[in-house]
Amino acid sequence: MNMFTLIWQNSLRKKVRFTLTCLSVLVAFFLFTTLSAINNALSSNANSIDNYRLITSHKVSMTRALPINFSDKIKNINGVDKVSYSSWFGGYFQNEKQQVTMTAVDSSNYFAIYDEYQLSPAQLKKWQNTQTGIIIGSEIAKKHHWNVGDSIPLSSSIWMNRDGLFTWQFTVSAIYQGKHESTDNKKIFFQHKYFDRARAYSQNSINWLTTKISPSADNEQVIQLIDQKFANSSSPTRTITEQVFIKEQAQQFIDMAMVIKLVLSAVFFTLLLIVCNTLIQVIRERLSELAMMKALGFSATYLIIQIYAEALFLIGLGAVSGTILATLTLNSVQVNMANFLVGIYIAKSHYLISIIIVFIAAAMGSLFPAISIKNLNISQTLGAKQ
Amino acid sequence: MPTIQLKNINKTYSKGTNQVVVHNNFNLKIQSGEFVALMGASGLGKSTLLHLMGGLDKPTSGDVIIADQCINRLSESQLSQWRSENIGFVFQSHHLLPVLTALANVELPLALTPLNKKQRQQHAATALALVNMSDRAKHFPKELSGGQEQRVAIARAIVSDAKILLCDEPTGNLDRNTADEILSLLAKLNSDFGKTIVMVTHDLKASQYASRVIDLEHYLQSKECMSSIDDNSTKNVITKIKVCEQQGVKA
Ligand SMILES: Nc1ncnc2c1ncn2[C@@H]1O[C@H](COP(=O)(O)OP(=O)(O)OP(=O)(O)O)[C@@H](O)[C@H]1O
Ligand SMILES: [Mg+2]
Repeated sequence: MNMFTLIWQNSLRKKVRFTLTCLSVLVAFFLFTTLSAINNALSSNANSIDNYRLITSHKVSMTRALPINFSDKIKNINGVDKVSYSSWFGGYFQNEKQQVTMTAVDSSNYFAIYDEYQLSPAQLKKWQNTQTGIIIGSEIAKKHHWNVGDSIPLSSSIWMNRDGLFTWQFTVSAIYQGKHESTDNKKIFFQHKYFDRARAYSQNSINWLTTKISPSADNEQVIQLIDQKFANSSSPTRTITEQVFIKEQAQQFIDMAMVIKLVLSAVFFTLLLIVCNTLIQVIRERLSELAMMKALGFSATYLIIQIYAEALFLIGLGAVSGTILATLTLNSVQVNMANFLVGIYIAKSHYLISIIIVFIAAAMGSLFPAISIKNLNISQTLGAKQ
Repeated sequence: MPTIQLKNINKTYSKGTNQVVVHNNFNLKIQSGEFVALMGASGLGKSTLLHLMGGLDKPTSGDVIIADQCINRLSESQLSQWRSENIGFVFQSHHLLPVLTALANVELPLALTPLNKKQRQQHAATALALVNMSDRAKHFPKELSGGQEQRVAIARAIVSDAKILLCDEPTGNLDRNTADEILSLLAKLNSDFGKTIVMVTHDLKASQYASRVIDLEHYLQSKECMSSIDDNSTKNVITKIKVCEQQGVKA
């Protein structure tokens, strides 16, 4: 018999009630973890951009092609530092269910602009010198056990190559590691030069241009200059900041960020009520036992610590299982949602916050019980006729 | 020197303007090794006295002196500590923790001592053996009869080796035979182990086991009750006479 056995035994006294309360804590933390991961995908993508980038696409639709020489024209605009371009490959591996985010990119400077995909100069050089080379993210490499030098067949749902095949053969040149936690480590990049040479049609066209403006330039002004330049061409453009670009892509999720916060507040408020209620019941049931323990010489502090520990155990157990469950769920969801909600991740700080919440919730939950224990009059409680 | 001494005790419960005076200028001395049965009608304040002696409650005025220590001067936490070292309680309801076995219940108060796990278990086992409950050590309270539960509660009261046992109607919930068992157990603890016992009871047979019976109704009228004097203090003798005169006039 020690304090821990007593806390353990006391906790499991009413197993059904313990389980139900624990489950409600589990649900709360499951939601908390999942929603905060989704929230990361929605908000921190934009936040993690440390240099301003503009995305130019066809005015009518993002999927319409633009001439490749737009790149040179934009380069001459005042305030533009670098310009790169890319095209959507619509790739998948083996079958259409295994979609991959695969883009053909300007091998000369794409990674100078998108420096969140970290590569060493040697890796970059190697890729630039390999016609069919691909750069893949560390996560997708791990998932398929792909290594540098492997020959990988990847298919496109849009592009046929000159052999009349939709399956293209590539070689892994390098594996990148995302700079931020939110960086998507499941992307695949290959050379636009090779793309143009090997595809059966639409040569010299691209989907998007990415412009990095010089630090001193005003982005609104550069946006106007770019779009004005092509306004009367056969392919009028629409230029937006990358934040807007991401937000538009994830438009349906944006309002969710607000909903997420509301849901979470409601969940935790309810959680607190449930835990409070349980602990108040617990104290009421054990009043005479607690009075007896006080009579035996256990101090109010000792008994309050016990109740706090019990609350901690109850909430902690629910929180740990809820968080683990959410982490597992997210890991499996991540793979399936790779294409439309990138950057779902659980920040390390989330775990710390969860731990803090557990301790605070336990403290708030045991506040009323602590007051009852402190004010418990042994003489009156034990003197009462049973 | 008496081991328990109540001196000029006043105990008044007040609720709003309403005041209930339970004890007024109450005095009592109990010597070490006595087995006192405290009897009397309901509502006279027997439990109140017991709670005062055990430091569960404080007098409105007056002093409670147990083994040379004036316990009403102690702080709440000092009192907790003091109780765990000096007093064993047995109540009408056993108040055993239902989640712990008989042995673990007896061991409970030892959690406050520096004894190690093995020593605690040994002490608890010894206490259980003393109340003849060794064979039920692993049983939970709900698996025991009322008398057995009460014996476990007594074991818990003596496990810390407190010199004083305070019992409030320990046989109140028991049938005649079981009550006799408990009473003789208490008598044995008193005679063989020198425990000082104060037992509040309505059980008339208690007088057969106790070394002294205090009938509170009569005692309240006695000189002993109304005088607080230490026999060798002349200063107090004078006060004693005055107090007695006043009380006498009233009576
Ligand atoms: N908290 C309290 N507030 C007000 N009055 C109280 C309180 N506790 C006890 N009393 C009163 O003090 C008196 C003595 O109570 P106590 O419990 O000591 O009696 P008792 O002699 O033990 O009676 P019984 O034999 O029924 O147990 C009673 O009149 C009771 O109403
Ligand atoms: Mg009573």
